[in-house]
Amino acid sequence: MTLTVETVPTVADAARRLGTGVRYLGGGTLVMRALNYGDTSVSTILRSSDPALTRVETSGDRIRIGAGVTMAGVMASRDLEALHPVARVIGGPAVRNMGTVGGNLFADPPYGDFAVALLVLDAMVQVEGASEVPLERFLGERRGLVSAVTIRRPERGAFRFRKVSRVKPKGIAVLSMAAYLPGAPGRITGARIAYGNMGPRPIRVAAVEQALEGRGLDAGTIASAAGAALQGVSPQTDPIASEWYRREVAPVHLRRLLEAQS
Amino acid sequence: MSTVEFRKDLFADERDDNLNTIGKPERRQDILGHVTGRTKYFDDHLFDGLLHMRCTRSPHHHARIRSIDTREAERMPGVVRVLTGKDVPVNLNTLLSLMNFGKDDEAVLAERKVAYRGEPVAAVIAGTDREARAAAAAVRVDWEVLPHVLDVEEAIAPNAPVVNETYPNNTFDYHDRYDHQKLRFGDVESAFATADHIVEGRYSMSPIEQAPVETCGAIAAPEGADRFVCHTSTQALFFSLGTTAKLLDMPSNRLHFIGGTVGGGFGGKVDSIHEPLAVLGALVTNRPVKYSWDREEEMQVGAPRGAEVWYLKDGVMRDGRIVARQFRGYFDSGAYTRLSSYAIIKGTGHLPGPYTIPNVSSDVFCVYTNRTPATAMRGFGITGVDFAIERHMDKVARRVGMNPLELRILNSYRDGDMKPHRRVAHNCALVECVQVVSEKSGWAIGPEFRAASSMTGGGGPRAEIPHTVTDEDGRIGERRSGRAGTAPRPATPARPAAAAPQRPAYEPQPYTPQPYTPPSAPQPLYQPEPYRPSAAEPHRPKPPEPDTKPKPRPEPAPQPEPTRPFDRGVNRPGASRFISGTRRR
Repeated sequence: MTLTVETVPTVADAARRLGTGVRYLGGGTLVMRALNYGDTSVSTILRSSDPALTRVETSGDRIRIGAGVTMAGVMASRDLEALHPVARVIGGPAVRNMGTVGGNLFADPPYGDFAVALLVLDAMVQVEGASEVPLERFLGERRGLVSAVTIRRPERGAFRFRKVSRVKPKGIAVLSMAAYLPGAPGRITGARIAYGNMGPRPIRVAAVEQALEGRGLDAGTIASAAGAALQGVSPQTDPIASEWYRREVAPVHLRRLLEAQS
Repeated sequence: MSTVEFRKDLFADERDDNLNTIGKPERRQDILGHVTGRTKYFDDHLFDGLLHMRCTRSPHHHARIRSIDTREAERMPGVVRVLTGKDVPVNLNTLLSLMNFGKDDEAVLAERKVAYRGEPVAAVIAGTDREARAAAAAVRVDWEVLPHVLDVEEAIAPNAPVVNETYPNNTFDYHDRYDHQKLRFGDVESAFATADHIVEGRYSMSPIEQAPVETCGAIAAPEGADRFVCHTSTQALFFSLGTTAKLLDMPSNRLHFIGGTVGGGFGGKVDSIHEPLAVLGALVTNRPVKYSWDREEEMQVGAPRGAEVWYLKDGVMRDGRIVARQFRGYFDSGAYTRLSSYAIIKGTGHLPGPYTIPNVSSDVFCVYTNRTPATAMRGFGITGVDFAIERHMDKVARRVGMNPLELRILNSYRDGDMKPHRRVAHNCALVECVQVVSEKSGWAIGPEFRAASSMTGGGGPRAEIPHTVTDEDGRIGERRSGRAGTAPRPATPARPAAAAPQRPAYEPQPYTPQPYTPPSAPQPLYQPEPYRPSAAEPHRPKPPEPDTKPKPRPEPAPQPEPTRPFDRGVNRPGASRFISGTRRR
């Protein structure tokens, strides 16, 4: 009945220890909130002091981000410069000092904005004791202990991100959007678009990607992309915004994201 | 940053600008503690052997309790005691009973039925919060789910489920006579008959949560001399003390209440929910007990500003003068009374807003529904109807094709005008406010409106109480039995049979609108005589009914020795033996 805390030296140990009633604690911004609000399903909090969890390493055109890297850690990493604007809009300073990249993948709406950015950067998730899986597939199951996320090193100026919230500077997102547009404003090859808070988990938007693929980022392309903005998307109604509102504003914000100067 | 602009040019001769405090910047007395993190809240007081209390709550909007089985919960680890309604010495109260207003209608822990989702039926006291939560979930309640009603207008229909058995008509009883609070001033029906336009509207507002940063809570502990100390987040310390004394059938001098620091209140911390249970817990266990809500409880069970529905009907002349205004309002009190009954009386005194309208009528209902009970929040009773009134003023302006600012100045009250609740208005300032709004927003108004003043044009015939038509509609129980309609009055009603005038000296006369003549003083139509309340018997509080219920006083348990020596203990005579310090120094 009492709550215990266990700390193990490696991620592998932690993965073995996971089970019923055992919850892994990254930064605690989700787990401790649940415990403080009376979640009695957890009887053991598991931590790991594995130094690999907090490392950021670059090899070739991929960057490996340890699952325990905090948002503040992202902002302190020169390799992750493209993600600084994303980390800066996650929570307030206290949350950024604790909240981790790995934990963000487990955040239910209206949170989880960092995962939206990772989706367009071709992220692969390293689950301890298993092979790497694409983030898109991982988000559908969200099982296992994440040890790291690897992303493509973004081409300069090709990555864009937008978090839309009503309260500034640290409001909860009505929606968030990320775009990876290599070649823009010229011919785009490998366009990726992702939304957050437009459904139960962050998603890629194939219709918009197709509207952009192989074309220059001109007014006509942007118009057709905005026209496809809601294809295959089923946003939810929650205390932050209604489904109707999200449908109304999503094409507008997509247009602004695409029109923005990189 | 915007700065405050003081308009010292206005009302300069009515005000002394050489006061020591008013009009001068002043440091809040508590701000230093807040900004340095030294302010102590109720939860910053540490007690050795502190027990935690959590409630088992209704998952249903409306249900009868067939039985409550606490046996499994009592066997759970760490559980010291499980309380149900029969453990509460006087398990029925209404907040305003301390000032003799309303009937006791709410149990601390429900015994026979619940009337809103989240209503507590049992309280578990255990060694840790976690143990208390687990045991609260193990309390078995056999529910018989009843039909519920969540809408005020549905709740007053004759066939609606009875929410609150103390008020079987689903409406609060006003003055032992009516199912609503009446206001009658002049004769609205005659004025509607002569008005050029009739403008109607329906306005509604949802409940609003006060959302304090510190959730509501209290810690109670045994003190010396058979007393109990209680640290609480309450906004109303003596309300909480009086309520606790009543519910626990205990003289108030056995209660030592300490409050004063509220971590966000806004009206949501006046209901005195926590203190009685925390003190009862300390009484039956003889140990310190904390009872506080988590965030979810604060949102679901914490009483919000109630929902309101308002119907307004105005009689308006072509030149924009409003000659009659009729209100019909419904306050959603939730399942129990708390403060909505009082909010309605407060709101009725405010009608028809800051305007001088010669004929005003209002019926406002305090309606029980199977929603969370509503309570105070910033200007409650006024805020909702003001929203309705100002939206309606804009609607009137559109109908008569008038600038909405000019419409407001035209109808605004002036010093010396009689308000419908029979008080003369003074220190009026709406005209000047609208003029400043016009100036700041660049929304132009005509020169005669720029020249208007709150200090001129009032009084004279506008200070008189008009001949007033009264009625006996809406006696308690009438509506419920189907003998009176539940819908708002029809758009173009037939004139009701003339009721006897309030003062028989005046024969009822059809209302004739007078031309608007601001500054010149026309002849008064009649000599006003001082207002006397109607001849009906004045409302007297009923003597309290003899309480036949046995009041078990729990046997005081033997005083346990603290398990650890006090390393930071307090040895003040009479102080609680359990105090071990504070989180903030």
